[in-house]
Amino acid sequence: MNKPHRDTLYLENAEILSHEAFAGEQFILRIVAPECATKAQPGSFVHLQCDPLQPMRRPISIMRVSPEEGWVDLLYKRVGTGTTLLSRRQPGESISLLGPIGQPFRPDPSRTKPLLIGGGVGMPPMVFLAESLYQERKKQPFVILGSEVPFPFNPQPSQLLLPELPADVIATMPLMDDWGIPCRLASQQDFAGCFQGYVTELARHWLISLNKQARGEVEIFSCGPHPMLEAVAELAAEFDLPCQVSLEEFMACGVGGCAGCVVEVQTAEGPVMKRVCVDGPVFEASKVF
Amino acid sequence: MTQTDPSPLAIEFCGMPFSTPIVLLSGCVGFGEEYTRVKGFSNRDAGAVCLKGTTLEPRPGNRPHRVYETQAGMLNAIGLQNPGVDKVVNGILPSLDFSETRFIANVSGSSVEEYHEVTRRFDDSPIDAIEINISCPNVKEGGVAFGNDPAMSARVVEACRKATNKPLITKLSPNQTDIAGNARGCIEAGSDAFSVINTLMGMAIDIESRTPIIGNNQGGLSGPAIKPVALLKVHQVYQVCRDHNIPIIGQGGITSPEDAIEFIIAGASAIGIGTALFYDPLICSKINNGIEAYLNRHELPSVDRLVGTLQLHQQPAPKCGC
Repeated sequence: MNKPHRDTLYLENAEILSHEAFAGEQFILRIVAPECATKAQPGSFVHLQCDPLQPMRRPISIMRVSPEEGWVDLLYKRVGTGTTLLSRRQPGESISLLGPIGQPFRPDPSRTKPLLIGGGVGMPPMVFLAESLYQERKKQPFVILGSEVPFPFNPQPSQLLLPELPADVIATMPLMDDWGIPCRLASQQDFAGCFQGYVTELARHWLISLNKQARGEVEIFSCGPHPMLEAVAELAAEFDLPCQVSLEEFMACGVGGCAGCVVEVQTAEGPVMKRVCVDGPVFEASKVF
Repeated sequence: MTQTDPSPLAIEFCGMPFSTPIVLLSGCVGFGEEYTRVKGFSNRDAGAVCLKGTTLEPRPGNRPHRVYETQAGMLNAIGLQNPGVDKVVNGILPSLDFSETRFIANVSGSSVEEYHEVTRRFDDSPIDAIEINISCPNVKEGGVAFGNDPAMSARVVEACRKATNKPLITKLSPNQTDIAGNARGCIEAGSDAFSVINTLMGMAIDIESRTPIIGNNQGGLSGPAIKPVALLKVHQVYQVCRDHNIPIIGQGGITSPEDAIEFIIAGASAIGIGTALFYDPLICSKINNGIEAYLNRHELPSVDRLVGTLQLHQQPAPKCGC
């Protein structure tokens, strides 16, 4: 029987290489998971055992992978019991990972200007997508990252100038400069070099600065808190742009078995409940908002 | 090639050969193929796989959130999301590999007639057995509302019995006063076996918004938190089943071979794995190996020799008037 879905997820006992804490309860975890590192695509996530005392795993999106070195980087925020226990895990320990899970972002080959918008712990899939676009070198992406707590990296003034944006909006994630990808940061807080406001306001600035033809090349990818994604979906609708969003939901199995992590999706046959784990986490924004 | 000895884990359950006592539980493994996504997982590691609860018409299921972790367990309220029995029989069953394991349908409904009709449609299919879900706590009609009423439970079983000669397994609810009495009525109505237990009804509240976390307001509690309750219920139902030679699938919070062995000693012929899969998708082979090691250590030739071997402490006779 033809069963192409079989053996597509891997359970790996992943050694923790580093576990770095940042302000605002943020952590970046680097673990050794060669199968996941090789097979993950931007938008994929992993289902992690935080601690043997927790009956449920936690879904955490992938920020970076190195297929050559076999590691996976995860960014998460300490918000409850599971992530608190996870934050105590030390380098050298092992952690059970199931992954890579989910339908990835699918950029439209005909659109050359991907606009990536990530907020808070929604930044990782945008970083992953940006790095993959950098490796392909076929498009001219623009990345906007937003956070209400200090960013989990050291923002630096970008060397990639964007005359269409206010000159004082200059801070970027250094990796993006390394990849030659223009990126700007946004926050309601008064962070140096950051746009003071919502990510969608900065995105609007940028979209308006484009001529009609260039704007027609744009496609939006986004991940972040629900109200932010709603605003991104509205922005995309306003400018008539395709938009893919990555969603989050409480999750039990992570393999499509329990239908616990659903979201209502509009289809030609009417609304249906789709599983965020294996049908998502990436959905067309216009179908879920 | 020499003939190998039969596996000590192999059992016969209502006439069906199970390669191991493990049954993957309804609602945890979709329609039988979902977990095969995980490399190393095989349906062959389970004696049987119970498919997702199925109704006559498609059901969208409950609104999110549908799952939430609690202390040593989890709440769920999926609400029987399923594509309807015809899609299951015609679209899904033909794609299953029946050489790997036994597949058991799980039928549900809002009326006795619906239970009958869904069972009838599964009767005319390759499915190996049918589990009657009269204990789903997450739907407004049917489900646990039937399962907590012994007369209604028996009516549902009787209606399903008339629709099939395949083995009928009744899934009992722990949310009732006299589970053994209910089991007795179901046996008289034609039940061939029992699943003991379904989830316990529970709730979790977001104290900031003062709303229930689960979209359905309440959900079913599973996981290690319910294991002692489940074990006692298996013990109680076994007291009724023993004399009728009716087997039990013991379930509720099993996460290790030791847990499984406790259930078998309490009277379960087979043991159900559900929530534990979420934590460890490859748990079946570990439980199989652990049971086999236990059998070797206790010099038992097969797992069925362990069923119901519980030796209760003798209690002193109650004194008058106390």
